[in-house]
Amino acid sequence: MNDAIVEATGISKRFGQVEALRDVTVTMSDRAVGLLGANGAGKSTLMRVMLGLVRPDQGAIRVLDMDAARRSWDVRRRLGYMPEHDCLPLGMTAADFVVHMAQLRGLPHRMAVLRASEVLFHVGLEEERSRLISTFSVGMRQRTNLAQAIVHSPRLVILDEPTNGLDPAGREEMLHLVRRLSSELGIAVLMSSHLLEDIARTCDSVVVLREGEVVVKRPIGQDEIESRGELHVRVSGDRAAFLAALRTRGVSVREDGDEALLVMAHHNQSETKVPGTFVSSEGLHDAVRDAAAEAGAGLRELRPAGPTLEDSLIEAIR
Amino acid sequence: MTVTRVHDVRFTRFDGELEGQRQAVWSLARWSALRSMGARRSWKVKLVPIALTLVAFGPAIVVLGLRALFSAQIPINIATALPYKNYDGLIGLTILLFAAVITPELLCPDRRDRVLTLYFATALTRTQYVVGKILAAILPLLCVTLFPVWFLYAGNVLFADHPLGYVQDHKFDLLRITAAGIAIAVFYGLAGLAIASLTGRRAFAIGGYLAFMTVPVIVGGSLADGLGRPGLLVMATAAIPIHVAESLYPGFEGDGPSAAAWAVAYLVVVVGCLAVLIRRYRAVEV
Repeated sequence: MNDAIVEATGISKRFGQVEALRDVTVTMSDRAVGLLGANGAGKSTLMRVMLGLVRPDQGAIRVLDMDAARRSWDVRRRLGYMPEHDCLPLGMTAADFVVHMAQLRGLPHRMAVLRASEVLFHVGLEEERSRLISTFSVGMRQRTNLAQAIVHSPRLVILDEPTNGLDPAGREEMLHLVRRLSSELGIAVLMSSHLLEDIARTCDSVVVLREGEVVVKRPIGQDEIESRGELHVRVSGDRAAFLAALRTRGVSVREDGDEALLVMAHHNQSETKVPGTFVSSEGLHDAVRDAAAEAGAGLRELRPAGPTLEDSLIEAIR
Repeated sequence: MTVTRVHDVRFTRFDGELEGQRQAVWSLARWSALRSMGARRSWKVKLVPIALTLVAFGPAIVVLGLRALFSAQIPINIATALPYKNYDGLIGLTILLFAAVITPELLCPDRRDRVLTLYFATALTRTQYVVGKILAAILPLLCVTLFPVWFLYAGNVLFADHPLGYVQDHKFDLLRITAAGIAIAVFYGLAGLAIASLTGRRAFAIGGYLAFMTVPVIVGGSLADGLGRPGLLVMATAAIPIHVAESLYPGFEGDGPSAAAWAVAYLVVVVGCLAVLIRRYRAVEV
């Protein structure tokens, strides 16, 4: 059995003069994958191809090891889908709607009622389950939308811009819920967004689309992996005292730009400058904190060295 | 040492076998039919369908009630007082209004609230969605086109001197009643859905449906009278299924169009409405 959740090979799709997808070849096998791109990059079209709602002009796509074009209905009932726009029946209660969607996806009535109750609890709508959707706030509607997408315990849920239109608190809750899907509930997530932060906080890897083409596919945590043992630090106050305090802690430091410092741990114990003050990669953050406290310097920036995820993605999209 | 953590996430997975597409269509039909009749909705929404259903049963209740209470004083002959073939014609306006109320309720909210995106992301195809909604329109309509006449038939069987003999003598009536009830429900249901598929607004759907049913009656009647051509009465859309239903019983004769003409008109409208529905939902963007 194939481990890939989605396997697209040479997918192209044209709508009139617009080439929405161009030779998209990508394999997604992480538990949570982010689909990043500007508006019109082809994210929603790729998702609709996965759901079998749009037939590609060229190429093949397999979702959960099934041909999404030939067995589209079978694929769709095994997936969860949360569309970007508002699409809930306003005259129904949240519980009724989620039960209804569960049955349409093939759950027997009794199981649909049970599962609806569970997922509404999960998305935090247990108390409001009997209220009409028309009385819900935007955040509650988005959570109802998420509940209908996972009510049948899909192996994969496709979330199209789930934080759209939410206020900061609502966005925070939604991102937390999305992260839980893959980390606690065992549901693979494919989430699109044009906000890098949303993807970085909820996904294990990111696929970047630009004008219908895949330009980057990489794990989210790669920055830390590449720059392990190095920190990019910017301080205010007595910079010389801070440098001295760092060096007494056995940390190598070099200039990294006008104000920034590149702080490195010693990788070889024999190179320790001050006996008994060896600093491991893991202890580097503590050393920086302590040095700043000792020198009375303010920490203005502290992050893994090297290009950030944002830097590298912007570079790829250019 | 292996560390095991138990999280009570109150989330169970459904590992059973998912039901097939037929079940999904049936679920959509059942759910939509109940909602259109006001199930799990406020009493205001329930009021009109229930009232119209009671009105549809009215003639049968009155006739059977009179027979039950005053059969000694008034010898009522049901066969002549309220023949089965005339029942649907008698409550024609009720059927028309019932269809006008429930059919927009089946389609307009889905379009208005853009729920189609979610429906088509489940196992349902567009054609299956249409099939589900047709079933959802026909099933409640049977409450006014079929069940009252069945009720009358059942009453006649109960009040007959020899119930079994009555059933034997009128066994074809039961088939005719059933066929007529279904034919009328299919016609009004499809017409209502076809018009409702053209708009997301319920008021426009009701108005359009009533216009589709009544304007041709006036135009057809005027033309038939003015030109002296009774055949033009087949234009009267609201009357088509009633005449088709009556033509199922023996002795159908009229001054107007023949049974075959009504049947052709019936098929033209039904096929036309079906084509509109399928075309609309094949083209709809989700």
